[in-house]
Parts: sequence; C-alpha cells; structure tokens
Amino acid sequence: MSDNGKHTNVIVRIQRFNPDNDQKPRMQDFQIELKPGTTILDALQEIKTHQDGSVTYRKSCRHAICGSCAMNVNGKNELVCKTPLRERLDKNGVCTVRPLPYLPIIKDLVVDRTAFWEQYLRVKPWLAPPPTVQTDREYRVSQEEVAAIRNAETCIMCGACYSACQVIALNKKYIGPHALLKAFLRVLDPRDAIPGERLADLDGSDGVYRCHTIFNCIDACPKGLNPTEAIETLRKLAQRRLKVEEERLERQKTITEPIA
Amino acid sequence: MYKSTGFISFVLRRFTGVALVLYLFLHMWVIGSALSGPDTFDARLNMVQTPFFKLAEIALLAAVVYHAFDGLRLLIVHYFNVTNYRQSLFYAAFGISAILTIAGGIPILLFMLEG
Amino acid sequence: MRIFQLQRFSAIALLVFLTIHMIVVHYPPFHIDFAQILIRLENPVWKAIDIAFLGAVLIHALTGAYMVVTDVERVYSYRKPLAWAAIVIGILAFAYGSATIWAFRMPA
Repeated sequence: MSDNGKHTNVIVRIQRFNPDNDQKPRMQDFQIELKPGTTILDALQEIKTHQDGSVTYRKSCRHAICGSCAMNVNGKNELVCKTPLRERLDKNGVCTVRPLPYLPIIKDLVVDRTAFWEQYLRVKPWLAPPPTVQTDREYRVSQEEVAAIRNAETCIMCGACYSACQVIALNKKYIGPHALLKAFLRVLDPRDAIPGERLADLDGSDGVYRCHTIFNCIDACPKGLNPTEAIETLRKLAQRRLKVEEERLERQKTITEPIA
Repeated sequence: MYKSTGFISFVLRRFTGVALVLYLFLHMWVIGSALSGPDTFDARLNMVQTPFFKLAEIALLAAVVYHAFDGLRLLIVHYFNVTNYRQSLFYAAFGISAILTIAGGIPILLFMLEG
Repeated sequence: MRIFQLQRFSAIALLVFLTIHMIVVHYPPFHIDFAQILIRLENPVWKAIDIAFLGAVLIHALTGAYMVVTDVERVYSYRKPLAWAAIVIGILAFAYGSATIWAFRMPA
C-alpha cells in the first residue's frame, strides 16, 4: 500500500442484512482498489456504484457535519466520511464496517434511531427564553459562560456516542449521552429560563445517575466532545437545583446589559 | 460488545460487585453463628479454613481491592474533571489492585501452607 | 439522586472502614476464633465501628444490586417493589448483623 503510483487491492467487509430475505446479518467482502485519499465512505460509494447497488447506508454532506454516516468500523463508532480507509485496514488489508451497535437494523448499515430522537426531544433541546423576552434588546453572554458550554455546542447528532453507550445497550429508557449533553448545553446557557425544571427531569432514575462512567461516549465522539464530563457536571448541579434556579433568575436581570 | 477499557472496567466492576454482594450474605451467615455461642462459631469458622476457602479468599481479596480502586477512580472523576486521563486512571486502578492482591495473597498462601 | 448519594457516601465510608477491617482483622493472616475476636470486640467502641461498617456495607451492597438489576430494561419497570425489597432485606440484615456483633461478649 503506497502512494507511489502502485495501487493495491483491499477488502471492505460489510455487514449485510435485508429484512425481506435474511434471518440474521451476514458479512460480505468487497474488493476495491485503494486510491490515495479514499475515505471509507468513498469506498462504500464505489462498491454501491460499481459492484452491488443494493448496499444500503446513510450519508449526506461528506464533510463530517450532517451526522448521517456514523457507523461501526473495526469495532469503533465513527463518521465514515472523515475516516481514511488506509488508516482502518488491519494487517490483512481488511476493513470491517458494521451498522451502529445496539440499535435495530433497518437494512445493511442503516439503523432505526427512533429511541435516539425520542430521548432527544424529551430533554426539550430548544432554548427556553424568559417569559418577558425583550425583542428589541440583545442578550449578552460573557466569554466565560460561552467557554463553559463550548463542549456541547458542536454536537452533530450522529448517534456514535449513543450507540457506544453500554447503558443504552441494556436499557433504552436511559436518556443517553447525546440528549444529556444537549441538556447540559441548555442548563448552562444563561439565556435559558428553566434550568430548574430541566434538572428536575434529569434527576430521575433514567437520568444522569443511570450513567456508569464507562467513557465510551467520549471515545466514540467524532467531534471530540465530552458527554461524560457534562453528565458529571449535571449531577453536581442537580444536587443544588434550587440554587441554580435562583442564580439564573438573578443572572437574567442583567442579561441585556453590556458585559463589564 | 463495544470494546474499550471503559467496557472492561464496567464488566469487572459489575462482576466483582455482584460477587461481593453474594459473599457479604455468606459472610454474615458464617459470622452469624456467634449468635448460637462460641462453640458453634468456632466450628463453623473451621469449616471455612480449608485450602479451598483460602484460595477463594485470595479471589475475594482481588475482587475487593479492584472494586475499591475502581470506585476510587470514579470518585476522582466525579470530583475533579479528569476524564482526559480515563485510560491512565483505569490502568492505575488495575495495577494497584494487582499489586495489593499479590501483597495480600502471598501471606494467605504462606499461612495456608504452614497449616 | 438519593440512591446515587447513598451509594457514593457509603462508598467513601467503606474505603475507610474496609482499610481498618483489613488491617485489624486479617493482616497478617492468623488463626481466628471466638476468643481471638473477643479481645477486640469487648471494647464497645469497636462494636460501634463494626455496626457502622455493617450499615455502610449493606447500603452499598443493596443500592449497587438495585442499580445492577434495574439497568436491565425488562426489570426497569419493577423499580418500586425492588426498592422496597431492598429496604426490607437491608433492615433484616442489619438487625441480624448487629445482633451478631452484639453476641461477641464473654460467655456468662
């Protein structure tokens, strides 16, 4: 395998499952030529175009921002559009692609993400402004406040953390790292008016205390985010929920004023 | 299975945890014989002094120290934001428990061999 | 949250109690019998320490077991009865264990 003009054939091993014909998933090997700069998504495209049109997967932007193409490559969840195929070949020149684990498979590499989105909506992922929104004024957030939520802002909802979570594997009632990270973003946002209500919801037995600190979500996140730390922070905040509510009310009195 | 050090630590934590709960009740039953007087107590304690139980004791020690240091690791993660050191922390917890198991296991073995 | 806190605080207590327990009772290994244990447990302070240890260990064990079983989705909906079962087991075991510790005194 080299860039010096000599092309090598490699094998992409894909987990196939057609609900119409198959009882259970099976593995199928496809041989393709390894060209410089080929990503795993490129390889899947190549296979679908030239070898087997029935290979099914989700993809959209090819720039690691739409969150469609999270898959399990050699046992790790990642975005196939930003992963070079060359880096994921084992010593036999094989790259194994499977759908995201622990989720129902619809077909081949496409999984059913219903539970993922249900939990996401459950934490009210939108910003809840105070009842007296001043539309003519700008809300000013300090640099420290922005820095605190930076960790959660860039989530693309790809589901890599969710499907790597061992608790989710056991129990889909658990809110999950993706939604807890979003809840963290809203709870810490000084413009949000209902941090107390949010924390009360996360406090239940399916919430932040169901996390067993396994760290798979951090390892899986293609954006380098840290859901575990967000969950630990939410745990601490949930234990002083009323205080958080009070502080937020106080903070919002001055939110339209310039930052000192 | 999503394999990672986190997964290994989780499985070990659960496994040792459940084993320790079972042991706890067994232990309470053995010591509980004291309620029927010193003689019953000594008799039942002798039942669990055989080489088999001595070896089981080493396994018990391993489970206790691993569970303790794994828990300590989680306490550290909770109180200090050190998730970036998650792998090192796991290896440290595992290493310390291995060392302590050996350090505690050798005297148990010697005691067993001496009779 | 209450379960989490119970588990965390009992864990911290156990780190202390278990260290004491291991050093005082088991290290280095020696022959143990009723008379041997009595030397230590005749002291009411040791009795109190051991009863507190028992309480912490039961809380930790039962909250831990509760979390392990309710992690499974099929068991998850039985949280209430399981919690009550754990409380009842805990009280019974605590009573039995305390009585055991109390039994370590000079035979009359």
